[in-house]
Amino acid sequence: MRVLPLLPLLLTGLFVLPAQADEARDWLKRLGQAEQQQSYKGTFVYERNGSFSTHGIWHRVQDGSVRERLMQLDGAAQEVVRADGHTECVTGKFISGLGDIPAATARQLDTKRIDDWYSVAKVGDSRVAGRPVSVIAFTPRDQHRYGVELYLDNETGLALKSLLLNDKGQLLERFQFTSIDTTPPDDSELKPTGKCRPVVAADAEPPLVKTSHVWHSDWLPPGFEQISSTVRLDPKTKSEVTSLLYDDGLTRFSVFLEPLKGNAVPDTRLQLGPTVAVSRHLTTPQGNMMATVVGEIPMGTAERIALSMRAGQSDPAPQGKP
Amino acid sequence: MSREALQESLSAVMDNEADELELRRVLNAFDDTQTRETWSRYQVARAVMHKDLLIPRLDIASAVSAALAEEQAPAKVVRGPWRSIGRLAVAASVTVAVLAGVRLYNQDDIVGAQLAQQNSQQSLSAPMVKGPAVLANYSESSDQATGPMANGVLQGQPGWQDQRLPGYLRQHAQQAAMKGTESPLPYARAASLENR
Repeated sequence: MRVLPLLPLLLTGLFVLPAQADEARDWLKRLGQAEQQQSYKGTFVYERNGSFSTHGIWHRVQDGSVRERLMQLDGAAQEVVRADGHTECVTGKFISGLGDIPAATARQLDTKRIDDWYSVAKVGDSRVAGRPVSVIAFTPRDQHRYGVELYLDNETGLALKSLLLNDKGQLLERFQFTSIDTTPPDDSELKPTGKCRPVVAADAEPPLVKTSHVWHSDWLPPGFEQISSTVRLDPKTKSEVTSLLYDDGLTRFSVFLEPLKGNAVPDTRLQLGPTVAVSRHLTTPQGNMMATVVGEIPMGTAERIALSMRAGQSDPAPQGKP
Repeated sequence: MSREALQESLSAVMDNEADELELRRVLNAFDDTQTRETWSRYQVARAVMHKDLLIPRLDIASAVSAALAEEQAPAKVVRGPWRSIGRLAVAASVTVAVLAGVRLYNQDDIVGAQLAQQNSQQSLSAPMVKGPAVLANYSESSDQATGPMANGVLQGQPGWQDQRLPGYLRQHAQQAAMKGTESPLPYARAASLENR
């Protein structure tokens, strides 16, 4: 009977854990809604290894449509204006031809899917940009993705701070608001400056997907699905570059496949803060190709993906949607 | 076998000069009490010559032999199979421990099975990947590791990578931003690439 006093303790333990996870899930839901419903303006910093920059953001939700302007406040005046997921205008080197990606229906955070690959829990309370926030930690369940800490505004549910952490707990990048105001920005604040070049919708003809451009991967980190596939003619080299985008609900990586026209090219590995780029040489029936994996994933995982790219449809079961 | 030959052999054993054959001969003849008596007499003579201390009538050998004879034979039979099973069990548990250790070390519980599968697949489709690519590439990329990996800045690698990688990085950032939820994070990533 000596166990009896311990029993309540055990039972509360059992209930507290799911309660924490549920709370975290509620927070995720709030985050998804906030991004679609909350107007705000503010400034944030972005920091990664070798780079620190400050940005202004004006975000307005009116009658269900989202309009947003982003402007870098230091150095070059990078500017982007987006409306309902479409990029309207941009400064700097924007890759033309990206417009033919089917209109990005803003993806809601799929809490159930995230739950499969990350353990999500509220780990504490803090303060960001002068506002109380709740800290939600996404701890990866395998070594193929990084951990994320989101600091969500208690009042609106907006992500005011986001940290990306590797398996050793080292900080890879920091995104953090320094000030935020939840009054909707007016038209003048959302108006692009003259330097913002409009993004012309790409040629209307649908991209030709020949069999030579059909690719699949023998191995993908579990949970990642292909969400888009495009073929683009590079204006400089006149070679057709296939690009595939994969997503696990929280993290994304791209795979680029480009034919090598007899050039001897060394394989490369590169790490830029959170972003990794791995190039691998592939020999296919169509000739030599270069597979480049770019994304916020660990180097080893990217390497393995690059080595697993294969030409043609996958035989047993197609990976993702075409 | 002549008595004299045996006694010679006994003597040789006692002086630690017997060869294999003599030793065997002595051991074979040792069940005989006469031989044992001869042996103990020789021992006494030797002790006298070397001025050693001796307990003359102590016959340990026969006592041990008697004890061995009394030992129950069935005990041995029972132990046999259990012992081999036990050994198997030990071997199996060591294997399991090693496998579990490797698994834990890889931290790869979810994809463990897939990993194994993948390894076999990769070896099958090795011709697709150029030659012994992995080995060669690893040595090569370790050279580069001191460069771009160390400071996280793209170094001016001549040729293809120099032209292509910045474009790929930019395209990835922009695609991720376009496809994204409304978070401004991918935009910030893309912008940080432009700042180089």
